[in-house]
Amino acid sequence: MELSQVSVGFAGAVALRKASVSIAPGARLGIVGESGCGKSMLGLCLMGMVPDAGQVTGSIRLNGQELVRAPERVWRRHRARDVAMIFQEPMAALNPLKRVGDTVMEPLMIHEGLSRSTARARALALFEEVGLPDPAARLRQYPHEISGGQRQRVLIALALACNPGLLVADEPTTALDANVALRIIDLLVRLSESRNMALVFISHDLAAVSRATDQMLVMYGGDIVERGPTAQVLAEPRHPYTQGLLGARPGLENRGRTPDGRRKRLVTIPGTVPPLHDLPQGCRFSGRCGQEFAPCARQRPQPTALGQGQEAACHLLSPLHAGHGTCRGAA
Amino acid sequence: MSGRLPVNLIIGAVLVALVVGVAALSLIWTPHDHAAMTIRNRFQPADGVYWLGTDQLGRDIVSQLMVAARNSMTVALVAVLIGGSIGVMFGLLASALGGWVEDLIMRVADIGFAFPALLFAIMLSAVFGPSLTIAVAAIAFINIPVFARVTRASANQIWMRDYVAAARAAGHGRFAISRDHILPNIAAPVIVQGTIEFAVAILAEAALSYLGLGAQPPSPSWGRMLSEAQTLMFMAPHLAIYPGLCIVIAVLGFSLLGDGLRDITDPRLKRRRA
Amino acid sequence: MSAPLLQLDGVSRRYRMPRTALLRPPPVLTAVDDVSLTLNAGQTLGIVGESGSGKSTLARMIMAFEAPDEGAVRFQGAGLNRLSGADLRLARRRFQMVFQDPFGSLDPRRRVGWSIAEPLRATGAEDSAARVTQALYQVGLRAGDAQKYPHEFSGGQRQRIAIARAIVTRPALLVADEAVSALDVSVQAQILNLLMDLQEEMGLAMIFISHDLAVVACICDRILVMRNGKSIETGDTGALIAAPRHDYTRSLLVASGIET
Ligand SMILES: Nc1ncnc2c1ncn2[C@@H]1O[C@H](COP(=O)(O)OP(=O)(O)OP(=O)(O)O)[C@@H](O)[C@H]1O
Ligand SMILES: Nc1ncnc2c1ncn2[C@@H]1O[C@H](COP(=O)(O)OP(=O)(O)OP(=O)(O)O)[C@@H](O)[C@H]1O
Ligand code: SF4
Ligand SMILES: [Mg+2]
Ligand SMILES: [Mg+2]
Repeated sequence: MELSQVSVGFAGAVALRKASVSIAPGARLGIVGESGCGKSMLGLCLMGMVPDAGQVTGSIRLNGQELVRAPERVWRRHRARDVAMIFQEPMAALNPLKRVGDTVMEPLMIHEGLSRSTARARALALFEEVGLPDPAARLRQYPHEISGGQRQRVLIALALACNPGLLVADEPTTALDANVALRIIDLLVRLSESRNMALVFISHDLAAVSRATDQMLVMYGGDIVERGPTAQVLAEPRHPYTQGLLGARPGLENRGRTPDGRRKRLVTIPGTVPPLHDLPQGCRFSGRCGQEFAPCARQRPQPTALGQGQEAACHLLSPLHAGHGTCRGAA
Repeated sequence: MSGRLPVNLIIGAVLVALVVGVAALSLIWTPHDHAAMTIRNRFQPADGVYWLGTDQLGRDIVSQLMVAARNSMTVALVAVLIGGSIGVMFGLLASALGGWVEDLIMRVADIGFAFPALLFAIMLSAVFGPSLTIAVAAIAFINIPVFARVTRASANQIWMRDYVAAARAAGHGRFAISRDHILPNIAAPVIVQGTIEFAVAILAEAALSYLGLGAQPPSPSWGRMLSEAQTLMFMAPHLAIYPGLCIVIAVLGFSLLGDGLRDITDPRLKRRRA
Repeated sequence: MSAPLLQLDGVSRRYRMPRTALLRPPPVLTAVDDVSLTLNAGQTLGIVGESGSGKSTLARMIMAFEAPDEGAVRFQGAGLNRLSGADLRLARRRFQMVFQDPFGSLDPRRRVGWSIAEPLRATGAEDSAARVTQALYQVGLRAGDAQKYPHEFSGGQRQRIAIARAIVTRPALLVADEAVSALDVSVQAQILNLLMDLQEEMGLAMIFISHDLAVVACICDRILVMRNGKSIETGDTGALIAAPRHDYTRSLLVASGIET
């Protein structure tokens, strides 16, 4: 799958700006950023499910086929079989009146024309694959009868039903307990490896992305501000926003007290994400950035390649402004 | 989404405005004296003087319908306000106290719910003699359990909100919380229910008057006009048709308005219906 | 030494579940099972555990929203469940709570200033605008914000308002139940720093509940780990992280990214 220069605009506001992403079979891509920065919008572009109010421009290709203006009918053929999605809220995404087994069997019978009994056998196998305990009994249960983590597994089974080449998981673990989330992440990684399935993992949790993916994007205000191999970006974030996100996450180094007996404070990014229609000109992050300098407010920074596949869009890193300030890496 | 109002709301609002407008107008003006009988003019056809003709006693139909609209609105308003206030109080009480008090109030409400208004009105009339006051009391009475239920259901939702827990943490008692937080936040569903109950009350008032248990002559009422017209059905069908039509318009208007209001205040219900 | 600020002795709480069969007695769920803890003035205690482990139930008992079925909750030496209604109301000035959902914990129909002043009115303290303004400043908001409604604020700002409401009576104890779980990391860090500031400035004792051990570890002196209603491990933060005694605690460490 390949996105190039894709933008999504809503009356007077740009929710996603000239995003170019390509996803190879079996690749695992993480997308992080604060709420409202366009992560889900990017995910929805991959599914052809941008809300009607949104204007999509650019190019979206799936196995070489251009889909950006494709009618719903064409997209529907690709969904489930080529691209599938898991949504954030596991309760809302399941029909409460339907047994979970029937929910999973339905697309198999519709898309693949399987008989009821074959579909049931496939559903059973899927439930086993996603690690639901006692899968045969689960088939007959209703969503409210199983735990949140199990519901999420059912949704994963549902998404996997038609063997998609790409799975988009939009905050699949946010509603879950940390321990359960961990097991779901490990499950997604295992499935992606065993099926050679590409995975797009959307989350605001850096720890989750670090565990789940090998490439990552950091988004802010509809822009991709930094990208690269996950381990590399997390170890050596170059964009001030990425650095801020990493610093804000409590870790061991934040524990304990300073010599004067006060507790150590976390590094924070001042302020909050401004609303879409109110983003600053120039760098989207200016106004909240601690390393802002002259060109930031006026000029929009372009992505600068930093080696080993890492790139970031910040004036500090651009050769044009070389020598101006130094960009600190992670401590 | 927002911006586009539901059709039922618009139609309902227009019909309600029509009925209420006519009722209000009758306070200051009617084409004729609604009670003036001129036997000479009985069964006049519709014309420029008597827009919808006259009845068997020569009274102007339009004037009667207008005054009847006012009577009907007044009865419904008073009954729904009284029944609603008492019902809301019981609902709030049940929700605030919980436990056996809640169970008791709701079981009693269930019984009241199952109790037909007509039967109640007949019982009251048997004791006190038929009058408009009795009709109002009967309609108010049947409204109590309806509002108690709606209020309790909505209030129980609000009681689970964190801001209510915060108010408890602040040290507020159940009654202060009911007043400060619960009541303002259940206003929308209660108003919706009130509008729908208004329609029910209009119908009930018509039914009671039809049975002679509501408005007493000479005060006109759609229900009594209907019952008086019944015997003349074949001679002068219009005498029955016009009050019948008025009842339909008023009931439909308030029902649609209530439905529409619910649609815009509770989008969940609307989506489920679609 | 005087009595500790808060003391829980063998506190249990059971809920009756819906009947499964007509004749059998309804099953009982023990949400909190024989938990004891002590908290001194100015200390911070973290409570961690997975969903359903009874953290919120424990918080509700500490806040005297619910009475324990067994055991006692003592605040500044006084048994909370024995206090009369009026005395409990007065005592509430001294312990306050911050909730998880910044969108649900403020009445949408009330101005922010009204909500913040609520504990002052309820406990019969003087309802002075000055106190509200001061609380707003303490949480990093402006005096003018008192006139606005909750929907005019972002999630992080609302949580600041909720904290302002909790500290306006100058309590000795603040119970924060998942107070930062619903927030973005960057905002979460701001709120955690704010809580640390307030804790140090006001000498607040704090009970900080979360399922994220990393968050708890950065703000608490001691940690209590709960599982299935029981307290399975408790200790100083440093020691507990360095050498967890239970596998369950270790799994929480992994889950929060502290250990891999
Ligand atoms: N139908 C719409 N009309 C107008 N703006 C929209 C619409 N849908 C989404 N947006 C805007 O697009 C922006 C990006 O939203 P998106 O859902 O991608 O954010 P996100 O990064 O997924 O956030 P979260 O972490 O909260 O899920 C948001 O600021 C949102 O307000
Ligand atoms: N009012 C109640 N009636 C019945 N059961 C309850 C009630 N309140 C809580 N429980 C049960 O008690 C157990 C503990 O719940 P509690 O809310 O304290 O967990 P928690 O640790 O706060 O979980 P979470 O992290 O999901 O908030 C759960 O199994 C819950 O279902
Ligand atoms: S371009 Fe300027 S404002 Fe933007 S992130 Fe870089 S230094 Fe900060
Ligand atoms: Mg999203
Ligand atoms: Mg809880």
